[in-house]
Amino acid sequence: MQNPEAEHHSQPDSSPVNNLPGRFAQQRPQRVRVQAPQDASLSVTRQPPEHTAEEFYVRQLIRSQLRLACAVAAGLLALLVGICSLLVFWPVVSDIELFHIPLPWWVLGVGMYPLIIVAGMLYTKAAARNERRYRSISRG
Amino acid sequence: MASLFSVAALIVVCVTTMLIAFYGLRISRTTSDFYVASRTVRPWWNASAIGGEYLSAASFLGVAGLIVLSGESGLWFPIGYTAGYLMLLLFVAAPLRRSRAYTIPDFAQIRFEDSALLRKLTTYLVVVICWLYIVPQMHGAALTLSIATGLPGWVGPIVVAVVVCVTVLSGGMRSVTFVQAFQYWFKLAALVIPTLFLLARAIPEHAASERAQSLSTQLESVTTMNMYETISIILALLFGTLGLPHVLVRFYTNPTGSSARTTTVIVLCLLSAFYLLPTTLGVLGILYTPELGAANESDATILLLPGRLLNGVVADALTAIVVGGAFAAFLSTTSGLVVSLAGAISQEFFNGTVRGFRISTILATALPVLIAVLTSSLALAGAIGNVFAFTASTICPLLLLGIWWRSLTAKGAIAGLLTGAITCGLSLSVGIFLPTIDLWWVHLLRQPAAWSVPLAFVVMIVVSRGTRRAVPQNTDRVMALLHVPDPSSNS
Repeated sequence: MQNPEAEHHSQPDSSPVNNLPGRFAQQRPQRVRVQAPQDASLSVTRQPPEHTAEEFYVRQLIRSQLRLACAVAAGLLALLVGICSLLVFWPVVSDIELFHIPLPWWVLGVGMYPLIIVAGMLYTKAAARNERRYRSISRG
Repeated sequence: MASLFSVAALIVVCVTTMLIAFYGLRISRTTSDFYVASRTVRPWWNASAIGGEYLSAASFLGVAGLIVLSGESGLWFPIGYTAGYLMLLLFVAAPLRRSRAYTIPDFAQIRFEDSALLRKLTTYLVVVICWLYIVPQMHGAALTLSIATGLPGWVGPIVVAVVVCVTVLSGGMRSVTFVQAFQYWFKLAALVIPTLFLLARAIPEHAASERAQSLSTQLESVTTMNMYETISIILALLFGTLGLPHVLVRFYTNPTGSSARTTTVIVLCLLSAFYLLPTTLGVLGILYTPELGAANESDATILLLPGRLLNGVVADALTAIVVGGAFAAFLSTTSGLVVSLAGAISQEFFNGTVRGFRISTILATALPVLIAVLTSSLALAGAIGNVFAFTASTICPLLLLGIWWRSLTAKGAIAGLLTGAITCGLSLSVGIFLPTIDLWWVHLLRQPAAWSVPLAFVVMIVVSRGTRRAVPQNTDRVMALLHVPDPSSNS
């Protein structure tokens, strides 16, 4: 960034987590509105992205987190839509019964929840792993 | 006799709720406390509070009702509500917490500092969504009270509104957190106890006779929804949860981004445990109260089941427990919605002062009561499903693209929000008046999520691409704020 004004913030600390407006970050009587310079949108011709190492690592982190989230979400969506179309196009499954209740009722009424919970736990672990990797790289 | 029990249960729930709120008042001292509990709420508390807030009339009464009404298709609703939370965990939980946004308009402002219009637009959308969501709660209250006690329909909404106002006004978010954490466990108990009693009565009766054989035929006999509608509902519920204002407010009370994730996983467990109960009761409803489905009164299933299966004091007591739980559901969801609604209104019009918050609280509750008293109830879970479709087509694309796509521009976001709001809103309002006939365009209008959500995404992306010079300068820094792990979670 060439424009020092754009970097200027009301809070003195410079870590990326702390220099943005947080409404209730500190107990301030009134909000300090942080604004980009008014002519910012006029003067900017797309600046070339900064290629600092830090920036690169952040991008990497975002990409890996997004890939992870999309993978889990796609799996979930495929599973749900898959089960839904299976029930429509292959209704024979309803003839399978457990304690006189058809199989689809067991799958939908009980079976899906453990899957959702396990997916959530695995995701949380993997996301934390991505963050650990980011931390070790960006500090080392 | 039965109504006496129910009134007693109702009073106990309301008084306990208000007592916890007063207890919370002693703790909350500053503006920050008042709004967001100073972010000191532990994951288990917070998860219980989220569960308490999320399990609304639609979950408590509506899920069983829908199972009676549309059989197997009804099972998709609780799955969607739960899986929606998984989506929230995947895409929103940690980044939103790190953004320090308290409301969705705050998020819009953090991401696009310069666009006052975007902030305004999201504020109005939040207000509309909250009101749409509160009205079914009020309908549920009217239905419950008139079935259980025979009082006129308007009493229920008034009771809910008064208790919610007192709760929210007296303690703000801190007390609301306590209240809602309590109400999750109360709601769970209020369904566990009747379910156990009813199963104990129903299982021997079925196992012994040839009625067991008829069980599966009865389950299969209920007419289900068609495939397009089912998939559209799944999409609406999955993506709609991401944009629910009262759910997102909760994430602010987590101390860090990673604790926001822990909280969400606990919520998944709590929701899963809860939804087994209305599902079971729905199956019992198909067996014992199938006529409610035909009469479009299926939301009353859980309230009427105890009286249908058992008699005497036990039935009355169980009905009273269910009534208490149902009111806990109305109260907790409504107070959560009112808190975020009042937060949005007061920041928009009263500079976020505590006094402004109080005025906004009254405003936020009064209008839905009026609407609820003047209109009559749709199927609860269906009405809530429509709200999910609306949030999925508006707030959800804004959050998803805002968090994950650095090329989003304010103009793109505004265009997408307007497209989603107008197309989804119009088709839902037209769809309400259409008869349920099996024509493809009727299905498209009644369940718009499958096309309106992708449409909103596409418009947002295309317009952002067209205005790529307007990408805010500080985007990289905002992205880092959202995604860089908190230093404190290192230990």
